[in-house]
Amino acid sequence: MSYTWQWQLIWDFRQVFVRGVEVTVMLTWWALLIGLGLGLLLGLMRSSRLAVLRWPAAVYIDIFRATPILVQLVWIYYALPILLGLQMGNIVAASVGIGLHAAAYIAEIFRAGIESIDRGQSDAAKSLGMGYGQAMRRIILPQAVRRMVPPFINEFATLMKLTTLGSVLAVNELLHEAENLINNTYRPLEVYTIVAVVFGLMIYPFIWLSQRLERRWKTRG
Amino acid sequence: MSEIPLIQVRGLHKSFGKLEVLRGVSFEVKRGEVMAIIGPSGSGKSTLLRCLNFLEEYQAGEVLFDNTLVGYRDSAAGRRKLDSERNIRRIRARLGMVFQSFNLFPHKTVLENVIEGPVVVKGQPRAEAEAEARTLIARVGLTDKLDTYPSKLSGGQQQRAAIARALAMQPAAMLFDEPTSSLDPELVGEVLEVMQSLAADGMTMVVVTHEMGFARRVADRVMMMDEGEIVELTPPEQIFTKPESPRTAEFLRRVLH
Repeated sequence: MSYTWQWQLIWDFRQVFVRGVEVTVMLTWWALLIGLGLGLLLGLMRSSRLAVLRWPAAVYIDIFRATPILVQLVWIYYALPILLGLQMGNIVAASVGIGLHAAAYIAEIFRAGIESIDRGQSDAAKSLGMGYGQAMRRIILPQAVRRMVPPFINEFATLMKLTTLGSVLAVNELLHEAENLINNTYRPLEVYTIVAVVFGLMIYPFIWLSQRLERRWKTRG
Repeated sequence: MSEIPLIQVRGLHKSFGKLEVLRGVSFEVKRGEVMAIIGPSGSGKSTLLRCLNFLEEYQAGEVLFDNTLVGYRDSAAGRRKLDSERNIRRIRARLGMVFQSFNLFPHKTVLENVIEGPVVVKGQPRAEAEAEARTLIARVGLTDKLDTYPSKLSGGQQQRAAIARALAMQPAAMLFDEPTSSLDPELVGEVLEVMQSLAADGMTMVVVTHEMGFARRVADRVMMMDEGEIVELTPPEQIFTKPESPRTAEFLRRVLH
């Protein structure tokens, strides 16, 4: 059995990949923004002393972690409009869906990061007269963020790959474009190979950066 | 005004769940006084100290700092409510605290650690705070470590930096929670020296310590605690030469070998 790779054909269709990457990056960006903002809020609530804050956050996190993201996306796109009368475009729905999903995981990263900081740090901040917000912003989070970088990069890579699920909502992200291309060219091996390479090129720099940061912070303590 | 003791504690009770850690503690600390608190571990010394600046809540009794109730507000009907965060913070800012494990901010240099309180809490201009911080850092002998991160300092240097950080808030009193207990023996002296010079300058100090030599030399009064109660509270000569309570005598025999 021999297979003849036809890379020239792929090169001719390079614009398709460029379009797909643009949408993927946009989805990733918005989902990340939602995930980070909501994740920080949920993470702070989750590590709060007040049960009224802790409980809703815990329920949210558990629901989003315990159900498949594919179901969440479909539900947000098709069921939410019926319940709330809130009609979203498919790109918005995909961004929101992936963002809400990522928020649950990012919240846990924030919580674990905050709780990993020695209690003496908040004692020292409080004893100087700092309030909760000042202590978090100036003392706890700057230290916690360093410990959160590796799991956070991990989550970022996951999130970017999850954007491929946008294809179920007919979002023209990279995978969706690729599948259209396959239907026209019948060259799945070449197309999927390129998709893998492109994702690798987009994600690897962040992994590399994370490792460098970790090493640098280690030397400074 | 100055006759009113700076710190007044009356009938203080504190428990963690079912465990009663403080059972009715009453004492006063006058302005300029140095009080050492000694006693076996688990006797409630550190908890007592942490109630003074409300790092720990207490269940009954009262702590007055500069004649103000710490942490709570009593209504006319005698009901007690948690005080506003703003009021609690205001009191904490006037009470410097030094911890057994230093608790310097590891992501900040010595200078940044020392100016953090004045700049963030008091809103002091950075340049002014830095000038004052340099003086304080010189005072604790760390001028050559201004831009060093805590992880590069010895324990003794870290604790001296922590003292400078607390002093930068210009506190009315300083609370020391076993400041030398996690230091290597050869580093204890440099920290005690700084504390002794503070005492000589008239700083009001409450020091939980296992350094009996320091308590004897520097303290105006020594409080012996055991099982959440004050066993005795007397000038050092008396407690170290003829303790009233057999519990004190037993404790001193064990620590002084």
